[in-house]
Amino acid sequence: MTKLKEPFLRIEHLEKWYGDLHVLRDISLDIAEKEVLVVIGASGSGKSTLLRCLNFLEKAQKGKFYLDGKKIRNNERDLNRVRQEMGMVFQHFNLFPHMSVIKNVMEGPVHVKGLPKKQARNIAHKLLDKVGLGDKADTYPAMLSGGQKQRVAIARALAMEPRVMLFDEPTSSLDPELVGDVLKVMEDLGREGMTMVVVTHEMWFAKEAADRVIFMDDGIILEEATPEKMFTSPENERTQAFLKQILPQE
Amino acid sequence: MSTIIPWNLAVIPERFFFFRDAAFYTLQITTLGILAGLIIGLIVAFAKIAKNPILSNLAAGYIFIIRGTPLLLQLFIIYYGMTTVVTIPPFPSAVIALGIHNGAYIAEVFRGSIISIDYGQMEAARSLGMPHSRAMRRIVLPQAFKRAVPPLGNQFIIALKDSSLASTIAVPELLLRGRQLGSSSFMYMEMLIIVAIWYLIMTSVLTYAVHRVEKRLRVSDRDQT
Ligand SMILES: Nc1ncnc2c1ncn2[C@@H]1O[C@H](COP(=O)(O)OP(=O)(O)O)[C@@H](O)[C@H]1O
Ligand SMILES: [Mg+2]
Repeated sequence: MTKLKEPFLRIEHLEKWYGDLHVLRDISLDIAEKEVLVVIGASGSGKSTLLRCLNFLEKAQKGKFYLDGKKIRNNERDLNRVRQEMGMVFQHFNLFPHMSVIKNVMEGPVHVKGLPKKQARNIAHKLLDKVGLGDKADTYPAMLSGGQKQRVAIARALAMEPRVMLFDEPTSSLDPELVGDVLKVMEDLGREGMTMVVVTHEMWFAKEAADRVIFMDDGIILEEATPEKMFTSPENERTQAFLKQILPQE
Repeated sequence: MSTIIPWNLAVIPERFFFFRDAAFYTLQITTLGILAGLIIGLIVAFAKIAKNPILSNLAAGYIFIIRGTPLLLQLFIIYYGMTTVVTIPPFPSAVIALGIHNGAYIAEVFRGSIISIDYGQMEAARSLGMPHSRAMRRIVLPQAFKRAVPPLGNQFIIALKDSSLASTIAVPELLLRGRQLGSSSFMYMEMLIIVAIWYLIMTSVLTYAVHRVEKRLRVSDRDQT
């Protein structure tokens, strides 16, 4: 399973405060191309903030970021370009409710990349087929189930042809029976070689799809391991305590 | 001479169209006042949301003054108060007063509807690599306008009725016409009833139009929970 290469995405000494609250403390992290990295940790440990700093929805106070060896500079033009290369999937979908499903997916290609509508529409149709929603192109988000919405959100992010996909608890606001379809799409994506950073507590997904799991605790990466190691014999006490809470008891 | 009703209601249909020109004035003051109010409102709303403290304080001050004083006073300030600087005829005075007045209320409507849009919408757009201004225009504003329609409709109806204050500065709109014809014919009540009917027709049409627009806009959130 080792795909070790040049680090594709690199974070160096990231520090983030919200006022007096020190949310991320000196985080350094390398992510290889085609790696699927799962992030776990208790609520409030900084997982979302880490993802949001990665694509600059939040500005970190300190830290350097590199994508494919190139330093990302903190100016709007650079950031808009970098964001195009990083798809983001949110816990609450954040679909555009005033647009049909296909328009949601076409929005990035047409209004960010400037692709002709026809070409964007083709891309969107292919992606909707891929996430199993080819028949929903002309409906509005409000008429979809949560699981369907999240798959549209994945298609919308993929339409930009990103090189990295970031997922922030993509299934935690879904009814249990809808989780599987979304995870399946994500698993396929990982298998096709997409580089992914996934915040999730779905152990099934982590075991099946992850190359590496990191455990965050109070703003630091406390432990990092392969999924097998992490879920069977974690080293840190706090990791053990956390996993005991979320893993089904045998 | 012993009728139960002490008024000659038969003149109401007869004289109804004596008020056509006056109704047109009312409609003109209202429409122009609302248009000015929409433009002012949009600018002031963005100014108040702006991160620049000078802009946002200016906007807040404007809203504070306009909402804290009567429209009739604002109208008098423009029509009588300004005469030492510039004399503004009655009709434009009425339009300006109504525009400035509604601008403050409409600004609050727009501001409220913009900030009511979930911040996740802006973030989703930004995460696609969209610049802030484009995300505002394509993602946030269309949703905000939709939410603004019912309170805007409400404000338009208030503006229509408020236009009657122009009668105090001799704009020959509905209410002034009603008072003039009332006193010259000694049929005050009959004339005022005609005025009331004209207003009711106009407010009803406006209410209906707003409902239609709301319904059209609701297409995308059928089954919205
Ligand atoms: N916008 C914000 N302003 C202030 N504090 C925040 C903000 N977002 C998150 N936090 C705080 O930062 C910490 C980490 O939050 P978050 O990254 O959302 O954690 P997680 O995703 O692991 O649950 C929490 O204590 C949270 O309350
Ligand atoms: Mg979170």
